[in-house]
Amino acid sequence: MRALTAEGFKAQVDEEWAAINHEQGAVPAAELNRLSAFFAPPSFAELDNASELLGTQRLENPAFNRWMKHNVHPHRVSGYSVVTLSTKATGMPPGDVSSDQMDAVASWADSYGFGEIRISHEQNFVLPHIPQDKLYALWQQADAIGLGHFNAGLISDMICCPGGDYCSLANAKSLPVAEAIQRRFADYDYQHDLGSLDLNISGCMNACGHHHVGHIGILGVDKKGQEFYQISLGGHAGHSGEAPRLGQIIGPSVAREEVCDVIEKVIQVYLGLRFEGETFLSCFNRIGILPFKESIYAKAA
Amino acid sequence: MPRLLKKIHGDWQICDVAETPWIAQDEWRAGSALQVSVDAEPSTDWLDASSIAIDFPAMTDGRGLSLAVLLRNRLGYRGELVARGSVHQDIVHFLARCGFDAIELPDEERLETALKWIDPHTGYYQPSVISSESTLTSAN
Repeated sequence: MRALTAEGFKAQVDEEWAAINHEQGAVPAAELNRLSAFFAPPSFAELDNASELLGTQRLENPAFNRWMKHNVHPHRVSGYSVVTLSTKATGMPPGDVSSDQMDAVASWADSYGFGEIRISHEQNFVLPHIPQDKLYALWQQADAIGLGHFNAGLISDMICCPGGDYCSLANAKSLPVAEAIQRRFADYDYQHDLGSLDLNISGCMNACGHHHVGHIGILGVDKKGQEFYQISLGGHAGHSGEAPRLGQIIGPSVAREEVCDVIEKVIQVYLGLRFEGETFLSCFNRIGILPFKESIYAKAA
Repeated sequence: MPRLLKKIHGDWQICDVAETPWIAQDEWRAGSALQVSVDAEPSTDWLDASSIAIDFPAMTDGRGLSLAVLLRNRLGYRGELVARGSVHQDIVHFLARCGFDAIELPDEERLETALKWIDPHTGYYQPSVISSESTLTSAN
């Protein structure tokens, strides 16, 4: 490659590209049209934004207000919103839902949202087209069956694989780690103050929990038959518009009972060094991994 | 007498054939049977071979398939093209689509199984060396 140079390589690629018969493999327009018909937008009604109604409802109900803040996102069509139904109740395996909950989500999708449900990679339901004047009714019903948590995007809305409790590939359990972190950071005001934070947990290197693209990533490893956890920082999946990046491993792995303390130290470093309004990820980008390393491994060093 | 899979008038069959005197690239002369390695650079000289064999060094090495496509599509070689060496029976279907018309297997007992799977599908989205048809085109 060094001898060939980047230009030489590019010339070879261009030459090969020119030699390929592109028409032969092309998908015919009729087939493309047939496929695009599956993705036609629903027939939206002409609605105004329900700002006034929502304003009143939010004032009357603080929990609904928080849900609106974290779980409801703007829609490109006026009068509609995008709703995330969080499956991250503390103590429940992230992403687990009962058949009754699934039936309920399906009926809400039918009655409010053009029958459309998406499953997000964050292990939550997304109802993509909900009329704004139906948000309160939807939230009340969701909250009644444990799907009204207002934690979308916060530290307790973690991605977590089934881990050693259910999965035969796992090197370590992940669910108890998730629960312990949720309990440690249970206070809403604290979570809210931490802001948007992706915490991803995988119980083995198959990485179903996408630990390496979590702002904080936790990977279960096996050390001579014992469960240990390797922690990485600063990864992100690229949904902020930047190129995705893998997290950096912070140091030697730790035992399960130490994981929460390490996460707490990481959070403390962030809280101590962040500028006003700076997210965990921007703060990490600015200060690097060293301050975190120093705080966690202070004694050992 | 070696047994191999051979495509005769569009049909794959198990055949007993006379041993071919393959000659490696550096000693080969026009008119005789040429055996090339998977990393050889295809040359228009090869068009004068009585037959060409591509020698697969390992079942995990797929370069022979790419070389076959170059021979058929770029050089326009129309003669016999044989896959030999460490050819795994699982890939005979791909070998056929890349333009081989004869396939030797290291274990002749596998030829029956290989024959069963050499043309397993009724249609393909992707055109190949042996067919420019796509089911996408015919469906519309």
